[in-house]
Amino acid sequence: MNKTSREKFAALSFFLSPMILMVVLFYLVPLFMTIYISFTRMRNWNVEKYITEFVGVYNYQRLFYMFQHDPTFKAVILTTVVFVGITLIINVFGGLALALATFFISEKPASTFRLLWLLPRMSPIAVYSLVWYYFFHGSEIGTLNSILMKLGIISQPIPWGQIVPWGAWSIIIFVNGLVGVSFGMIVFTSALNQIPKELVIAARVDGASAWEISRKILIPLMKWHFLYVLTWQFLSLLTTYPHIFLLVQWDLVNRDYGTTLALYVFNTAFGRGEQDQGLAAAAAVILSIMGIIGGYVTLKVLQFEKMMKRPRGDF
Amino acid sequence: MKDVETRPRRYEWIVILAILLASLPLILGFSLLMLSSFSREMVTNLDLSSFHFTLENWINVFQGKLATTGGIRTNILKITFNTLVVALGVSGVVTFISALAGYSLSRIDFRGRKHMMVLLLILHAFPGVALIVGVYLLYRLTFPQNPDVIRLYSFFYVILARAALEIPMSVWLMKGFFDTIPWEFEWSGIIDGASRIKVWWKIMLPLIKPGILAVALFAFLAGWQDIIYVRTFLIDQTLATFIEANIEAEYSHMPLIAAAGTLYLLPTIIFFLTAQQILLQGYSGGIKG
Repeated sequence: MNKTSREKFAALSFFLSPMILMVVLFYLVPLFMTIYISFTRMRNWNVEKYITEFVGVYNYQRLFYMFQHDPTFKAVILTTVVFVGITLIINVFGGLALALATFFISEKPASTFRLLWLLPRMSPIAVYSLVWYYFFHGSEIGTLNSILMKLGIISQPIPWGQIVPWGAWSIIIFVNGLVGVSFGMIVFTSALNQIPKELVIAARVDGASAWEISRKILIPLMKWHFLYVLTWQFLSLLTTYPHIFLLVQWDLVNRDYGTTLALYVFNTAFGRGEQDQGLAAAAAVILSIMGIIGGYVTLKVLQFEKMMKRPRGDF
Repeated sequence: MKDVETRPRRYEWIVILAILLASLPLILGFSLLMLSSFSREMVTNLDLSSFHFTLENWINVFQGKLATTGGIRTNILKITFNTLVVALGVSGVVTFISALAGYSLSRIDFRGRKHMMVLLLILHAFPGVALIVGVYLLYRLTFPQNPDVIRLYSFFYVILARAALEIPMSVWLMKGFFDTIPWEFEWSGIIDGASRIKVWWKIMLPLIKPGILAVALFAFLAGWQDIIYVRTFLIDQTLATFIEANIEAEYSHMPLIAAAGTLYLLPTIIFFLTAQQILLQGYSGGIKG
């Protein structure tokens, strides 16, 4: 190495090594450890006893067997499919609707609303869960029950989350949907702000309505962003569970029909009662494979590489 | 969109009303929670007949008098402090690491740069939380023998592990901020013979102060709002695990938990009122990449 390249190397290791260390420690090593655990009989975190007890693909066989015969696990898979599918639609189109709606009103109410919809994402997860715990509570203390009873629509309080499957599904979809909408809203809003204003002004002069402008000009120009939100939200919905965790833990929603695969992994590894990390790790590996493939396909579809220009003026 | 409007805003009120209607559950849920914390019983109705003003819940929370813990006093200040330590730790770690990495990804051309950025993007989309089984095994294997430092180590570990989840997005966010600084500033330093590290510290960092603030704020909120990582790794209680444990309060004590929840929500509200522009811009900046 000559002097300049040695200097460059020194500078690069200074700038990049902390990040690389974090990625190795908390992504790569855990990934291999998760794969490793999935081939052991690890349970109840009895590391000393089970860390070397290999069982081959036994955990994967169990998962497959459960997938075929265990009604609880079948409910989890079904819940995951329904949850991801419906929440995804709500998130993408809700975000689009919010971005367009706030685009056509004056700046002050627009940013107030955008901020309001950021609230679910920014508030502490425990508080957010608490809000909906009180809202959907199965007794007359629940806001929804209370309002409906006052209006005379129902005479008895209804335990919404225990109605399977759609009561439980509606609640987890609703609670997560409100969190996810803000992502689409922000992406679409920033995309709308990059569209040349002349296009909109010209259309307005020609007498186009807000709806026509949205449909004919704005939405076609946001195709890339639409794909971006769709794929990104799909990946994050597949793997998210913090916002559902407490709802299940507090028995607000039915355990089987309120648990997605990601939450199942967590509860199997860390939940109350018997813990089975081998099984949880096997499910996590399957989830990770789906996530990695999904992420890779996303990058290819979106052609992210084109966005990464080389730094200019470097020497 | 002020400058584009060419005719009277007849439809504006309809649109505003529509968004308001869609936002109603959100507004209702959060305001009833806050209102209930000042009430003797839970406020669940719109007619406010169940609202009787009292400060008792707040006094009880701060004195740690909780019915569910059976007379045992909980030190809520200590719990709040724990939450703050985690949040500040995550914020510090994330800001420091992403300020370093963001600069080199934005300004230095090296082999593997593109791959590194693609990797970060995949990690950003990747189920970081799905790896928690492996992250916990690493925790167990590195657990200190000395019982005196166990609690300290659990803080240390939860901060690093939670920060790692925020790193990919924050590095991209920070890189975006560095991208906006004209090269001329940097050239002037390099021509004077300063090293890249010196240029980074003396010239670049002062120029992207708003960006640093935004990243620090986001990371703080990420650490503050977390429940999964603190309940898995941290030995001490935080506000999140405190609320989780005390939810099965009797009806009469629900407003007490509402007060604890409102206390927990306070920093979020403060940021909302003081840092609106940073929140909105920061998010869109990070997503543009």
